[in-house]
Amino acid sequence: MAEHGHDHSEHTKGGAHLHHVLPQRMIFMVAGALFALMVLTIWAAFWFPVESLKENTFFMQVLALTIAVVKASLVIYYYMGVKFGTRLIKIFAYGGFVWFFTLFIMMIDYTTRPMEPVPGWEKQSSSALPRDTVENPE
Amino acid sequence: MSDHASHKGDGPEVYFQYEDIDQQQESYVVGMWSFLATEVMFFGALFLIYTLYRWKFHDTFFGAHEQLNWKMGGVNTAVLLLSSVFVAFAVHFAQMGKMKIVNLFLAGTLLCAGGFLVIKTFEYGAKFDHHLFPNHSFSYADPEHHESKSFWDEKLPSVLQMEKHEQEGDPKNARLFFSIYFTMTGLHGLHVVIGIIAISSLMILIKIKSSLITDYVPVELVGLYWHFVDLVWIFLYPLFYLIPR
Repeated sequence: MAEHGHDHSEHTKGGAHLHHVLPQRMIFMVAGALFALMVLTIWAAFWFPVESLKENTFFMQVLALTIAVVKASLVIYYYMGVKFGTRLIKIFAYGGFVWFFTLFIMMIDYTTRPMEPVPGWEKQSSSALPRDTVENPE
Repeated sequence: MSDHASHKGDGPEVYFQYEDIDQQQESYVVGMWSFLATEVMFFGALFLIYTLYRWKFHDTFFGAHEQLNWKMGGVNTAVLLLSSVFVAFAVHFAQMGKMKIVNLFLAGTLLCAGGFLVIKTFEYGAKFDHHLFPNHSFSYADPEHHESKSFWDEKLPSVLQMEKHEQEGDPKNARLFFSIYFTMTGLHGLHVVIGIIAISSLMILIKIKSSLITDYVPVELVGLYWHFVDLVWIFLYPLFYLIPR
């Protein structure tokens, strides 16, 4: 193999350092945030102070998932080093998670199936779910 | 503190297909990320299944989720977060070229992973004894089985013990809940086991100063995998243990 200089001040093609070291202070800060958010999600699930909101399933679920997404973002962005990655690494890293969210477009089918403007031939209203699992078949 | 990773000696060899060491190492990391993207697809489908049935049978899912021990799940979350912090430190010291300290942190990660599996064993054991594993012995909302004692419950420290909840909801759909629960947490547990194998192999390679470990990249790749395992649990915990009414 030929000689290769390892000049680490050189920028890679993506315009970012490949060899960035995550400082210890940042590891501690992210760790603190992660543990705090973990406590927050348990607190919110059991001891959320606003009664009217606590009874709102949708709100509570969105709250729990928002905390989870923030935690996940901290892990991906800092611990998994996407923040310091090249553009190529970023696009591969984000690609997987973009796919994750687009997957849920499929729920449109399940939620709108009972809203068919033209009724089907079957006497029963159809469901996209397997038949045995329909909770209250009419 | 240096802003850039250092290499011992001349550093790793650059293979002929790469322009320079940066491009070579970038390709390793990109390769790992594309593997992780397939993992996201794999777990993504399972999360979609969960979403669908949870949306359809919310009330039963709420009733069934009260059978799970959220305290143990919480301890497991903390254990996995701690292991992630250890891995972050391992990668940090690998980038500084201090491989002895790396092994120390990797050992800490292994300890956490082992602890996670022990706690999981207690959880699964109790579910089996309470007839909540969705096989032929599955029984839900049946008073006879509900009273059944479990070795795994009695051995649990009192802080982690939970009062028994009434088994509410349709047994058929509760079975669905436990199927999804065991599938998702089971596959996650399998990933933890694979992670343990990967981390211990890496520790041995570092210990014997293998020629495979020329720089920090192997530690970084194993670290990426471990962080992903943590990532999945971050979502599993609220979705299974903390379902709102």
